[in-house]
Amino acid sequence: MNAIAARYADQGVGSIFLYTNEAHPGEHYPHLTSVEQKLRHARDLRDILGVTRPILLDALDGACHRAYGSMPNMTWIFTGSGVPIYKSDWTDARSVENAVVYFLDVIVRRRGGERLAPFRVERLDYRTQDQAAFYRGLERNGPNAVREFREAFG
Amino acid sequence: MADPDLLGRYNYDAFVPAKFEPWMNFEASPPLGQRGPDFPLWDLDGNQTRLSAVWARHTYTIVEFGSFT
Repeated sequence: MNAIAARYADQGVGSIFLYTNEAHPGEHYPHLTSVEQKLRHARDLRDILGVTRPILLDALDGACHRAYGSMPNMTWIFTGSGVPIYKSDWTDARSVENAVVYFLDVIVRRRGGERLAPFRVERLDYRTQDQAAFYRGLERNGPNAVREFREAFG
Repeated sequence: MADPDLLGRYNYDAFVPAKFEPWMNFEASPPLGQRGPDFPLWDLDGNQTRLSAVWARHTYTIVEFGSFT
């Protein structure tokens, strides 16, 4: 996602990471109880996990996150007037880039004089499942995060 | 004043279905094609902005929701 942000930044595409609640709290990164703690975790997201996009924090009660469906790692794309034109219940860089390329082409088509009307489409996209990497992430959060995920999903 | 019960339930302390499943509400999320709801947000220095200020800066804005964990 960082690479996509960099690749399309000069084409009018902005990117942010919106910090929510902790999806898999553990001993090292426990559930959030204060804004100060949320700031610390978000800085670690930047400094340890290497998120280079601007990171913005939601309110501690997740007002924004909850209004948009509360999924732990979803992605939305908005127009400049705040209209969502893509939403995905999971973040997948290929899916997001595919959408960005499509929407940038919409601008080209309009500039070329094409008359366009929006319509809705539903599609199932496919993401890579890297269980080993996922469990390494859970271990980073703490042993409880690993145990709870195993108990929830086996 | 934030609702302490909401704060505790939203910031659940364990990844167990009874605590995380109630928040999985993507099916009820705002529809595409209509202006999305706006909310205050804060940068890593604690400065307040708004989602509307973010999306207004660019032709398109990608918003990834997530956390360290």
